[in-house]
This record gives sequence, C-alpha cells and structure tokens, in this order.
Amino acid sequence: MNTIEFDIRGQICPSSLLTALREINIHQEALRDRVVRLRFLTDNRDCVATIPESARTMGYASEVRREQDCYAIEVFGD
Amino acid sequence: MTEPADRTGGGAAATEAATAAEVRRLRDRHERAMGYIREKINELLKVIGTAPLRPEELDDETLIGLDPIGIVAGSFRQVLAHLNRTNEQLRFAREELQAIFDCAGLGILVIDRDQRIVACNAKFREQFGMGNADVVGHCCREVVCQTDRPDRPCPFMHTLSTGEAYRCPDWIVGGRHYDIVETAVRNQEGEVTGSVLVYSDISERFASEEALRRSEERYRDLFENTNDLIFSTRADGSIEYVNASWCATLGYSQEEAERLSLLDLVHPACDAECRERLQALLRGEGGGRVHAMLIAKNGRKVILEGDVSLERASGKSRGVRGIFRDITDSQTLEEELRRREKLESVGLLAGGIAHDFNNILTAVLGNISLAQAAAAPEDAVHARLAEAEKATLAARRLTQQLLTFSKGGSPVKRLASVAQLVEEQTVFACRGSGIFCQVKTDPALWTVEVDEGQIGQAVNNLVLNAVQAMDGNGTVLVSADNVTLGPQDDPLLPRGRFVRITVRDNGCGIERENLQRMFDPYFTTKPGGSGLGLAVTYSIVKQHGGQIRVDSKIGSGSTFTVYLPASDEALPPPENSAPAPQAGKGRILVMDDELIVREIAAAMLQELGYEVESVTNGEAAIARYELARAQGQPFSAVIMDLTVPGGMGGKEAVGELRSRDPACRVLVSSGYSNDPVMADFAGYGFCGVISKPYRLAELGAALKAAMGTTPAPQ
Repeated sequence: MNTIEFDIRGQICPSSLLTALREINIHQEALRDRVVRLRFLTDNRDCVATIPESARTMGYASEVRREQDCYAIEVFGD
Repeated sequence: MTEPADRTGGGAAATEAATAAEVRRLRDRHERAMGYIREKINELLKVIGTAPLRPEELDDETLIGLDPIGIVAGSFRQVLAHLNRTNEQLRFAREELQAIFDCAGLGILVIDRDQRIVACNAKFREQFGMGNADVVGHCCREVVCQTDRPDRPCPFMHTLSTGEAYRCPDWIVGGRHYDIVETAVRNQEGEVTGSVLVYSDISERFASEEALRRSEERYRDLFENTNDLIFSTRADGSIEYVNASWCATLGYSQEEAERLSLLDLVHPACDAECRERLQALLRGEGGGRVHAMLIAKNGRKVILEGDVSLERASGKSRGVRGIFRDITDSQTLEEELRRREKLESVGLLAGGIAHDFNNILTAVLGNISLAQAAAAPEDAVHARLAEAEKATLAARRLTQQLLTFSKGGSPVKRLASVAQLVEEQTVFACRGSGIFCQVKTDPALWTVEVDEGQIGQAVNNLVLNAVQAMDGNGTVLVSADNVTLGPQDDPLLPRGRFVRITVRDNGCGIERENLQRMFDPYFTTKPGGSGLGLAVTYSIVKQHGGQIRVDSKIGSGSTFTVYLPASDEALPPPENSAPAPQAGKGRILVMDDELIVREIAAAMLQELGYEVESVTNGEAAIARYELARAQGQPFSAVIMDLTVPGGMGGKEAVGELRSRDPACRVLVSSGYSNDPVMADFAGYGFCGVISKPYRLAELGAALKAAMGTTPAPQ
C-alpha cells in the first residue's frame, strides 16, 4: 500500500485540519480502495484529536504515533 | 446630483470624494463579506469540532486561496456518504435481527421495567397460545403466568432490579417446563430499562430425563437388590464398581473394593486356567462364561460362576463387566456327592474283593488254627503258626476296612458311650510313637448308637493320622463333648444334638489342594500310606449319620472334628458274659459255594468234635436237611453262607428251613461281615453268626452259643 506523507508542522488548527481534510477529500477513492494511506506530520497537539475524529466521521480509520519531535497521524480506509 | 458651478474646480474634488466614498463602500462591503465568510467557516469548523479561524493565522487572501468552504463541503459529502452506508448497514442488521427474532426456535419476550410487554416473537406466541392477539403493553404476569397476584414473587424481577443476568432452569407454566434466561436491557446511561427473556421449552427433555431417571432407578434397584454379584473393572483390572451383593458375599465395603484389583481376589487354589482366563479378559481377549474362585476378606473361599463381557471404547478394551452367581454351597454339595459316589463305587469293588479274600482267609486261618491245635505249644512250629495267625488277622482287619465302605456295609450298632472307646483308641494309637496324648471327655457325655468296632477304628485312624503328621514330637489333643447345632452353625451340618469328637495336632498341617481329596480312597501323601485310613473314617462317620470336618493351617497343625448323632436313651447296666465252650457234639451241615471254605469248616468242626456234612447251595442244604430228618439222623445245626452266586443263599434258605423245621438252628456266615443280615441275624431267622475268616475258638463259641438258644419265632 502506498503512503503519502504531508508535513504540516508549523500549522495550527484549524488550518492544519483543513489541510488534512483537503488531502482526504482529494484521495478519498484511493483511501476507500485501500491502495493509499495518508501520513500527516504535525507538531500541533490539537490535531491529534481533530484529524482522527474528522476522519472517523467520514468513515476512515486512523492511527496516531508519537515521533521524535512531532506526531504522525495515519489515515486509511476502514 | 452635483451643481454646475462645481463642475470645474469643485468637480474634481467631487469626483475624488465620490471615489473615496465608493472605495469605503466597497471596502466595507469586502469586510462584511469576509466577515460573513469567516463567520460561516467558523460555524462549519465548529461542526467539525475544531477551533475557529484566527485572522493572524490566515489572511483573507490566503483564506480564499485555501477554500475552506470547499474543503468542508467535500468533507461533509464524505460524512454524509458514510452515514448513509452506516444507516444501510443498520437497516440490514435490524432486518436480520428481526428475522432471527421471528424465526428463533426459542420464545423471546422483551419487557420494560414495569414488566409490560414491549415485544415478543412468533415462537413465544406459539408457546403460550396467543395467536395474533395484541399483547404489547400488557403485563407479562397476565399473559404468561395468567395471574394478577402481585403477592406471588416473580423471580424475573431480579434482573430488572439488579441488572444481573438470571436463569431459571425449570419454570413450570401451564403444565410445561421451561428453561428461562433473562438478560437486562440498558439505555445509553447504563440504566436498566427492561429485560429480554428467552424461553426454551424443555418439557420433552424433562419427560425424557424423568423416564431415564426412573429407568435408572429400576436398574439400580435390580442392581443393588439382586443376589447376583455384579462388578465392573478398568482395563488394568482395578475394580470400578460393585453391587451390594458383591460386597456382602466377599466382605468388602464399596470403598475397599474400589482399591482392589480383580486379580488380587483370585483364590490361591484357583487353577492356572481360571487365572489365565481372567487375565486374558482384562487384555481384551473375548468374554463369555467364567468359572472362578475368589477369596473373601475373611479368607473364605467363594466359588463363582457367571458371564463377563468386554467394555470397549475406540476399539480398545476399557474394562470388564460381569455378573456372577455364588455357587460355593452347591459346589461343595456337589463335591460331597461326588465323594460319596466315588466311595460307593470303590466300596462296591472293595466289598467284592473283601468277600472273596475272606473266603481265602477262612481257609488260611482255619488251617493255622488246626495246625496250632495239632502242634505242641513248646514246638518251634507253634511259634511260626502264631506269627502266621497274626499276619492273617492283620489281613482280616484290612478286609474289615474294605468292607466298611462297601455297599450295604451297615454298622452293627448298639447304644454306647464313646468316652472309654475314645480314651482306649487314643492311648493305643499313640503307644510307642513318642507323641504325648491328652484326652478330655465330658463326664456327662451323651450316648450314641454306634458300631463300637467301627467308631473305634475311626478314632484310631484319626489319632494315627495326627501322630504321623507330627514327626515324632508334639501333642495330640483328643476330646469328646456334647454339642447342639443350630442355624448359626455351619449350614452343611445338620441341626440337633451331637457328640463331638475332636482330634487336634500341632503338626505340619495339610496343603490346601490336598484338603479337597484327603477323604478320597487311596489318596495319601505319606510314603507307604494305604490311603484308606481317612477314607474309612469318613465312610464310618457317614454310615453312622454323622459328619466330619477338617480345619488345617500349614505349619500350625490340623483339627478333625467328628459329629455323631446323640441318642436320648441311657446305657443299660453291664452284663456278665461267661466264656463260650470250645468243643461239642452233634451233626453239623455246612453250606458254602467255596470248596476251600467247606473243607476247612468241616475240618475245624471235626476238630471240635462234631460230625460234618457239606453242600454248595441253599437248595441242596434244604434237601440234605430234610433227608437227614427223614432218616432219623437230624442235624444239630446248619452253618450257611449268606450269599451264593447263581444259587439260593443262606438269607433265602433259612426261611424255607424254618418253615419246615421251626426248631432248626441255623448260623449265618459271610465274608460280608458288615452286611445288615450279619448285624441283625435274629431278625432274619438265624440263631447265630460267624464272620469269615474265623479261628477255631471263634467257630466253637459261635456254634455253642447258637445251639444253646431258642430260635426266634418267624
């Protein structure tokens, strides 16, 4: 499965969330077909809650990992 | 509208002012529009659940370039699509659940906290005969239990009040049995709002279980109350279960039995074939009829006969089941019968041999007597003759023993006390053996009807047997006492009053396998033993209506016990008997089919001073007797052989003679010394008796005695 990574460090909500939602919208078919995973790197703590919750309401699954200096949020088809 | 004066100077200013105003208007409009856009974007962001836009983060141009409304709208489309999919799944799940609810083979009832029916499925309606009646909203008490009594406690309130699941394994409604499980239904806050009850109709299962329970009861009743011994073992032979009869017969409790192996119980005397058969069964090799000998807890031998079958699981032997019957008593009786039959057949043979042998001995002993009479006492030949007579008398004793168990060898009984007889025979048998004998007899010993010679011989044999068992050391204890046997005693012994004679030694004891055969004729374990002693003793005791028992333990010794039926009569006072005269005068007729007997009898009678004639059978005797009477030379006495093969014997001839001459004096003589006629000669018309072989003095005494008597009337 292909993983597309987006570095949105330096952005805070809501702009970081809007960026994530935009990419989810763009890649919605690939996500549903489970051929791609989106990986967002963020240093904004709020995104850890807002991005996974928004993804869940749209029918996607997500995983959050604590990286060296940021959080990695992966969104993929459920 | 502007004035014309202002068109030149004031017109530019006016235009500039108007432009400025337009710019302000447009700026205000832009700001309002952006404010509106930010406000709506913030509303959308709030719906999404994130923070509002901050002006410092995104300026208007960046905001417009980002197109947040488009982004959020796109996201909402996805949210909506996801909700639609979820709703579709929920609808499908609901329909699936409803189908399960309706088609379930179990009755399902949903009630609220007040026990009002919320829903129920078709099976529930069928179970309680509701048809299509509208029961929703009704209290389940009215519909299911058909009672409105609130005082009757409902166990299903437990779940409604506590939230805990509850199961009632046997709830009876309308005569049917239900297994009911109740589970709480909760709202989002976790509060109990009702419950679901699942009804499983177990009436058939309950009936089956009840039938099975009754069937088990019947089988258990049979199992525990049967007289047969029922058992089951595991593959290694360890006992799995036994029934009450098994426990009672072998003396073990159920718990003790379960710690035993079947092979532990096999009696040491059980033959190798039986033992191998049981081991083969445990190995899984066949089943069928089994004859086994087990040992009870108290050491008693238990003979069993029955059938066993293998219990298999997955093709392997799991153990053995069996039903046995205790045949110990019948087997013992059969052995007793076989022993009797054996004795009778051997006795018949022995009787014939003894009879013939006695005829020969009559000639031998008679000639010895005559030779002794002819020889001077100081002559060396006299001593040799005495030895020959001694040996011949020993041979006569042997024939007496043989005759004891010959057919018809009834003892010549008379009322007696065996006390003195027991003492005499014990002392006599122990003499010279080095064995110490102790005799104890009850002073008030009951009398018995016995042949003293035979009983003396029996006691002598038992004491001799005890002496020989002790290898020159030890003590023989002999006692005679009175005993009354009742139901509490050995079942093989008769009930009643008995004189008990006990001979106990502390010798080597008797091997278990030999106990079975020790009374068999010619069975002996002693080098040089005849095997007749105990057989004769057994025969004597049996012919007196008594019983003989033996208990023995290897290394500790043996105890023989004889039971003789006691008499109610007291002993008559002793009589003084005068010695019989030897010589006599007169004519004697001898009838015997054996030439040697006729010849020696004639010679002996002539030696005693009598005139003798002899004949070979009864007919000839009658004819010769009648002829002598007719010629005026009657016979003083007739000595007749009891039986004559192929002709008239003395038993028949005496009647004929007495009918012709009631005063005739007839003596009976026979090698069958134990024949009933010999015991009761007067009853058969004889005046006297003389057993073959006989010595000169015995013949003379018997003849004199007979000639001095008056014949009993016919």
